[in-house]
Amino acid sequence: MSNVKKGRRAVVVAGARTPFVKAFSEYIELDAIALGVLASRALLKKADLAYREVEGIVWGGVILPSAAPNVGREIALDLRLDPGCEAYTVTRACASGLQAITLGAAAIERGEADVLICGGADSTSNAEVKLPQKLVHAFAPLALGKPTPADYLSAAPKLLPVTDLIPRQPRIAERSTGEVMGESAERMARRNEISREAQDAFALRSHQRAAAAIASGRFEDEVFPVQTSGGRWVHTDGLVRADSSLEKLAKLRPAFAREGTLTAGNSSALTDGAAAVLLMSEEKARSLGYRPLAAFASWAYTGVDPADQLLMGPALAMPKALARAGLRLSDIDVVDMHEAFAAQVLSVVKMLASPSFARTRLGLEGAVGEIDPDRLNVHGGSIALGHPFGATGARMVTTMAHELTRTQKRTALLGICAAGGLGAAAVLERVD
Amino acid sequence: MSDWLVEVGQNKQARTVIRSLGLPVPVPEKLARDKGPWVASPLHDRVVAVGATPHAAFVSEIANSLAAAGANPYLEGAESHRAAFDAAGEAYGRPPRNTADLAEGVRVHALVFDASGIAGAGELRSLYDFFHAHLERLARCGRLVVVGRTEHRASPERALVATALEGFVRSAAKELGRKGATANLVLATGDAGARIDAVLRFVLSPRSAFISGQPFLVNARARDAGANGKPPFVRPLDGKVALVTGAARGIGEATVRALAQEGAHVVCLDRPADDAATSKLAREVGGTPLLVDVTDGSAPARIADALKGLGGAHVVVHNAGITRDKTLARMKPELWDQVIDVNLASVVAITQAIEPELEDGARIVCLSSIAGIAGNVGQTNYAASKAGIIGYVRALAEKFEERGITVNAVAPGFIETRMTAAVPFVVREGGRRMSALGQGGLPIDVAQAIVFFASPGAQGLTGSVLRVCGGSLIGA
Repeated sequence: MSNVKKGRRAVVVAGARTPFVKAFSEYIELDAIALGVLASRALLKKADLAYREVEGIVWGGVILPSAAPNVGREIALDLRLDPGCEAYTVTRACASGLQAITLGAAAIERGEADVLICGGADSTSNAEVKLPQKLVHAFAPLALGKPTPADYLSAAPKLLPVTDLIPRQPRIAERSTGEVMGESAERMARRNEISREAQDAFALRSHQRAAAAIASGRFEDEVFPVQTSGGRWVHTDGLVRADSSLEKLAKLRPAFAREGTLTAGNSSALTDGAAAVLLMSEEKARSLGYRPLAAFASWAYTGVDPADQLLMGPALAMPKALARAGLRLSDIDVVDMHEAFAAQVLSVVKMLASPSFARTRLGLEGAVGEIDPDRLNVHGGSIALGHPFGATGARMVTTMAHELTRTQKRTALLGICAAGGLGAAAVLERVD
Repeated sequence: MSDWLVEVGQNKQARTVIRSLGLPVPVPEKLARDKGPWVASPLHDRVVAVGATPHAAFVSEIANSLAAAGANPYLEGAESHRAAFDAAGEAYGRPPRNTADLAEGVRVHALVFDASGIAGAGELRSLYDFFHAHLERLARCGRLVVVGRTEHRASPERALVATALEGFVRSAAKELGRKGATANLVLATGDAGARIDAVLRFVLSPRSAFISGQPFLVNARARDAGANGKPPFVRPLDGKVALVTGAARGIGEATVRALAQEGAHVVCLDRPADDAATSKLAREVGGTPLLVDVTDGSAPARIADALKGLGGAHVVVHNAGITRDKTLARMKPELWDQVIDVNLASVVAITQAIEPELEDGARIVCLSSIAGIAGNVGQTNYAASKAGIIGYVRALAEKFEERGITVNAVAPGFIETRMTAAVPFVVREGGRRMSALGQGGLPIDVAQAIVFFASPGAQGLTGSVLRVCGGSLIGA
C-alpha cells in the first residue's frame, strides 16, 4: 500500500501448516492449542528464528476452548516464548485465519511490532458439547454458595422435564436464521443455477490438483509432519482423494435437501489442523537476512444479509480488495478461494462475471471479470484439503505467498466466505 | 373493538358449520399483516407472476424492484422483457422462470402486469389475456398490481387507457376481496420510472393489506432533494424528526409507533387533557411529548418553536381530528365551528407557521376520510373539513415541488378505533361489510400508509389522496 511508511510494510517471511485430517481421526487428542503449538514451533524452526524475537501472536479460531479462549496466548505460553510476547485471539468464522494475519500486518504497519506469528487452528474433534443452561442455572447456586439440604431439594424440580437436559447436537447453523449452512448453500446453488455436474467437476478438480501438488512435492515447504500420541506420524493431508472421479462423485446422495445438488463430495468436510505465518516489517526482515515471500497490497471485509445469500460475501469483498489495491481482476495472476461448497465458489465466480451484478450491487460500470479456471485454486482447495475453520485463511496465505515466489508471479487474490454472512478478501503481491 | 366475523372465520368449527349448512355468511379472510419494521426483502422467496405487452416501458424497473425485494419471478408473454429479468436475476440470484413452469396447484403471491405499452382500446385485450389465465392462482391475501403509464397531454386514444386500467383494477379489487387479496394500479409518467420501485415494494408487501382498488400516481413533480442513489429500505427515517398531531390514541398512536420503528424521533402532540397517554407514548418510543390544543391561537408558534429546537422537521402528520355528527338542520353552530377548526383551520395555520422549519425533501401527510370523498348523513361539517383537506393537499403539493417536499392525504375508510366503536352496531356492521375485503381496517393499516408516504422512496407521490379503505364500496 502506497501510504505505508517505507520499511514498515508487513511482509510474509515464512508459512507452515500441519497436514489436515478428517475430524475424529488422527488428531483426536490434539486440541486447537496443541495444534497451534505444533504449527508455530514448525514455523519458527523452518524460519530458524530465535524465540525471543517473537513480539506477539495474533491467532484465529472458531471453536475456542471455553476454559482458555485466548488460544494465541496459550500457544505462546506452551511454546515458552518470551513471557513478554503478548497475544490475542480473534474470531470471524471461516475467515478467522486471514483476519488474524491482516490484523498482524496492520499492527506492523502502524509500528506496533516488528515480528509476529499470525495464524489459526481448529480442532473440530474437540468441539465442546454444551450442557443445557438450565442445568447450570439450577446447580450454580449450589456450587458457588453454601447450600443446605433444602437447596438441593429445590434444585431438582428446576431440572424437569428431563428431556430438556439432553445436550443438543452441535450443528453448523446460523443463529439468526436457524438455517444449516449446507441448506443455505443449496439455495444459492438453485438461485444461481449451478448444476450438480458443475459442482462435481469443480470438486474433482480440487482433488486432482491437490493430489498433484502433494505428489510433486509442492507442499513440502509448507506442510511439516506431525507425531500423534500413538507414536504415529502424519505426513500428508488425509482428505485428498487422488482416485476421485466424476462417476464416484455422481453416486453420492444429496446431503442437505431431498432433490438437492450438494453432496458430501462437493462440500468441504469437518477437519482438524493448524497453519501459521511469520510476519515481519520489511526492514526487520531484511536486517535479519530473510527474503520476504509476499506482502499485502490490500484486504477487505464485507457483510451481507444471512437470510438472503449467506455465502456470497467474497463477491463483494474481492472487488473491494481489488479497488483498494488499485488493481483489476485482469491484473491478478492467481486466485485462491476457500471452497466451503463447490456451489458457493461457482456462484461467486458467476457473480463476479456478471455485468448486471457489478452495476447493481457494486456500482461499477462493467463486470469485475471472468476468473480463468486454470488460475483458480491451482493446488486444490478446501474441498480436497479439508477446512479446519481458523486454519484455512492461514493455509491460503502460506500457499499463495509461496506460489508467488516459486513461479515469480506478481499478484494473488484471496477470497473467503464466512458464517454470519461475512466475506473476506486480500491481495498479495510478491516482494522483490 | 375486534371484528366478530373475522374471528368466526378463524374458528375451524364455525367455518365447518357455515359451510355444511350452506349459510350465506360472508366470512372475511383474516388479512396477512406485517407489524414489524421495514425489512430489506419484504417479498422474500415469494412467487410473482409477471406479464407485459411488447412495448412496455417499465419492465427493467419492475424486474429490479422484484429481484431486490426477494421475489422469484415467473414470466409470461413477450420474450422482449426476458432480458431485463435475466439481468436483475443475475444481480440478485433470482433467475426468472416461465409461468408455464408453475405446477398445477401452485399459488402465486402476486400478479404484476406492465400495461404501459398499451396504446389504445384494442390493446386492452392483453390485460384480459394475462389475468384471465392466472387470476385463479392468486393466493389468499395475494396482490394484483397493474403498472401503467400516464402523460400530461395524452391523445384521446391513449388517455382512455389510464382510466380503463383504473376501472379494471377497481372491479378486480371487488372480485378478489373475498380471499383477502388486493388489486391496485401504479400509474407513472414516462420520466418517473426510477420512482416506481418503492411504490411497487409497498403495494406488494403485507403493509398494504387494507389498500385495494386504488391508483398510485407516480410522477417527477417533486424535485429530488439530496437523494444520492437508492433510497434506504431499512430504517428509512433514521435521524429524522417527525411530528404527529392527535398522537395519544387510535391512528395517531399507531402512526407514532410505526414512525419510531423506522428510526424517526417523533414529536407526539395532543391536548393537555391527554397528558398521561401522550407522555407515556413519547417515553416508550423515545420521542418528545408536546401538549398543545391545535385550535389554540398560540399553538402554531409553539409547535414551530418546538420543531426549531429539534433542528427542523422532516415529517409532519396532521392527524388530529374530531367528529360532531348531527344532521345539518339540527346542528348547533358550535358543532360546526369545532370540527372545521380542529380538522381544517388549524391544519392550515400550523402548516403555515412551521414552513420555515421544514427540511428540503420533507413530507407532509394529512388525514382525510372516505366521508370527505363520498359524504355521509350527519357529517356535513366533517365531510366539508375532510374534503377541504384534499383541495389543500393538492395545491400545497404544487407549492412545495421545488423544495422536494411532498404533500399527500390518506383517506381512511372504516377503521376499528374508539371513534367507530361508539357507533351503533347496525351502522358499524354496515361500515365494516361494505368493502371488497368485507372487514374494517386497523389503525396500523393507516399508519403504515402514512409511514410509506413519509419515506424517502415515496418521492414520486405528491398531491395525491390514498384511500385506506379495503376497497370500500362507497365513493370511487
